[in-house]
Amino acid sequence: MLKVSHIKKYYDDFLAVDDLSFEVKPGEIFGLLGVNGAGKTTTFRMIIGLLEPSSGKITLDGKPIDYSVTDKIGFLTEERSLLTKLTVLEQAIYYGVLKGMKEEDIERRLDELLEKFKIADYKNKKIKELSKGNQQKVQFIMAIINNPKLLILDEPFSGLDPFNVELFKDEIKEMASNGSMIIFSSHRMEHVELFCKKLIVLKNGKSVLEGDLKEIKHKFRKKNIIISGEVDTEEIKKIKGVISVNKNNLDYEVKIADESVVDLVFKVVSKGKNITKFLVEEPSLNEIFIEKVGETYEK
Amino acid sequence: MKNKLKFLVKISLNRKIKTKWFVLANVIFAVLIVGLFNADTIINAFGGDFDEVQKVYVKDNSNSEYKTYNLLKEQNESYKKLTSNSDNAFKFKKTKDNAKDIIKKDKDAWVLVIDNDKDNVIRVKLVSEGYASASEYAQITTILNDVKSSLALSLSNISSAELKKISSPIQLERKILDESKKSEAEGTQMIMSTVFPLIILPFFALTIFLVQMVGAEVNDEKTTRGMEIIISNVSPKVHFFSKVIASNLFVLVQGVLLVGYALLGIGIRSYFGSKSILGASSFDIKGLLNSIIGSDVMSQLGYVIPLALILMILTFIGYALLAGILASMTTNTEDFQQLQMPIVILSLVGYYLAMMAGVFEGSIFIKIFAFVPFISAILAPSLLILGQIGVVEFVIAIILMIVTNYVLIKYGLRIYKVGILNYSSKNLWKKMFKALRR
Repeated sequence: MLKVSHIKKYYDDFLAVDDLSFEVKPGEIFGLLGVNGAGKTTTFRMIIGLLEPSSGKITLDGKPIDYSVTDKIGFLTEERSLLTKLTVLEQAIYYGVLKGMKEEDIERRLDELLEKFKIADYKNKKIKELSKGNQQKVQFIMAIINNPKLLILDEPFSGLDPFNVELFKDEIKEMASNGSMIIFSSHRMEHVELFCKKLIVLKNGKSVLEGDLKEIKHKFRKKNIIISGEVDTEEIKKIKGVISVNKNNLDYEVKIADESVVDLVFKVVSKGKNITKFLVEEPSLNEIFIEKVGETYEK
Repeated sequence: MKNKLKFLVKISLNRKIKTKWFVLANVIFAVLIVGLFNADTIINAFGGDFDEVQKVYVKDNSNSEYKTYNLLKEQNESYKKLTSNSDNAFKFKKTKDNAKDIIKKDKDAWVLVIDNDKDNVIRVKLVSEGYASASEYAQITTILNDVKSSLALSLSNISSAELKKISSPIQLERKILDESKKSEAEGTQMIMSTVFPLIILPFFALTIFLVQMVGAEVNDEKTTRGMEIIISNVSPKVHFFSKVIASNLFVLVQGVLLVGYALLGIGIRSYFGSKSILGASSFDIKGLLNSIIGSDVMSQLGYVIPLALILMILTFIGYALLAGILASMTTNTEDFQQLQMPIVILSLVGYYLAMMAGVFEGSIFIKIFAFVPFISAILAPSLLILGQIGVVEFVIAIILMIVTNYVLIKYGLRIYKVGILNYSSKNLWKKMFKALRR
């Protein structure tokens, strides 16, 4: 289990991470969210041992993270961390050996992963000759070459088309089902919603929201009502607790302050014509994020 | 960690050596070095008029018996014997034609027009198509002065036997009381003028390779952010030492190859039995080796070479440490390239001071620099050969280099740890000084 306890990180007088605590158990996919500069990368760097926390403790299976345990960790950086002059095989051997693997095991695992990600032909190609998407695949392969117990993914889907996003998702889910702990950060909230059971939202280095995703959504008072049919939207807008009414394609989306407003809206809708849909939805993670952080994710 | 260090060294070396550019660079080196050792043979093979003796037509109007012309020929032969080189003479030919007409036919020739002169015995005019080189002008002036003296003496009714005595060149016999000093001085001069420049050039080139290698690798890993993955698996200390060891091993490999190309060049030269065509100053390997072996410098080289090698190896390590530290501080390759030249020029300072040491013998200023790390690698061995510093002073230079390397490791490593993960040049010095204080 990865345990982060009350970590703080100062850069001179600037507090980048403020009293952050969370746990990731084997098989869990954990989301670490926040706008740029919220402290995500600093947190990742502290977890993999690149930075020392100013205070607090980080342990993996009860042991502090040092070079004796880093072989069990995989890390995918937000920016490319590939030595582009090397071939895919050379790069895999480079990073694999540093993870304590034997060269023959690395090549076997690489063949398997290249096949899985449909880039087996690029094994002996130089990384700089590959497309951006394929470089991202190679970067992901390098992060998981050692079958890590703890996998840290900082924006893993950048530069990928939807087809390849699916390939990544499948692999991440498979790794989690095999017991790996995965920490995940992404600008794409739909990915976070799909993957993460637990998450933490950072703002200025401090946690502003954390816990189980379902519970977070459930506890979040604001809901959305989706309505299909002819309704008096002006009447709905007058209801106390209705925040907004928007038309999305054929449906109306009514944002409400809490669940008590649902009955009042329903009364107005029931007077309408050709009503085919009245659906009370949990808010999206993006909405919760904006509410909590006060700004959009992609700043 | 030991295995990871070994692996990182292997990777660094392979990235440098197993490339087509390394092969290409070495092919060029081999061709250039072999060519350099056989430059005279190559130049000769292409031909040219550099081996031709200057042709001089003499229009002797001084008397009908060509007395002046004959004296000129005699003096020319004497001059040849005196300088032991047939190149330092002229090929004279009598003529009655007009100077301009002769040069019209033979543009490379000179014409000497000799007339009687009441006050100066003879009056001579040198006519040539173009510029006559200063050395050739001086040579012919010497010969003509001798001719004039001989003519003047003969006009003073001196007997031919007396005249011969007066005209014969003086025999200046050299007598050196301490023969060992003679060979020592000759050997030292030989080493400083020929062997030393041959060593400094590869040393300088290898320093550039070493600094470039460390800088390029650290920058490449830093700018691609591969450094984060590497440093999350091996400590900055291991990474730093891997670069230092790999670059020094590379220098060793490249150095051995350069020596190999030099030996190949010498071998080819010996096989074809090249003979110098460039005069006494040209590179005569056999003669050079014989001179060194025959001189007392050989016994000196017995301890100078091992001491110089130790100092050079320590200096290479120092350069690698310095390059690694500076590369970790820079945020892109261009910044490092700007820093690279001043580092390398340090060794050039040593070279120029070593060259000046012979002129400013006993200079305290130069002696002080022989102790300065990085500069000492070139300067201290030359001062030791010249006898301007002793073994004790040389050992002090070695100790100072060891201390420098220790300081670079102790404090430089602190900078390296912070620098390799720093991607911004903002507050750079503040960050580095803070790292030093840790």
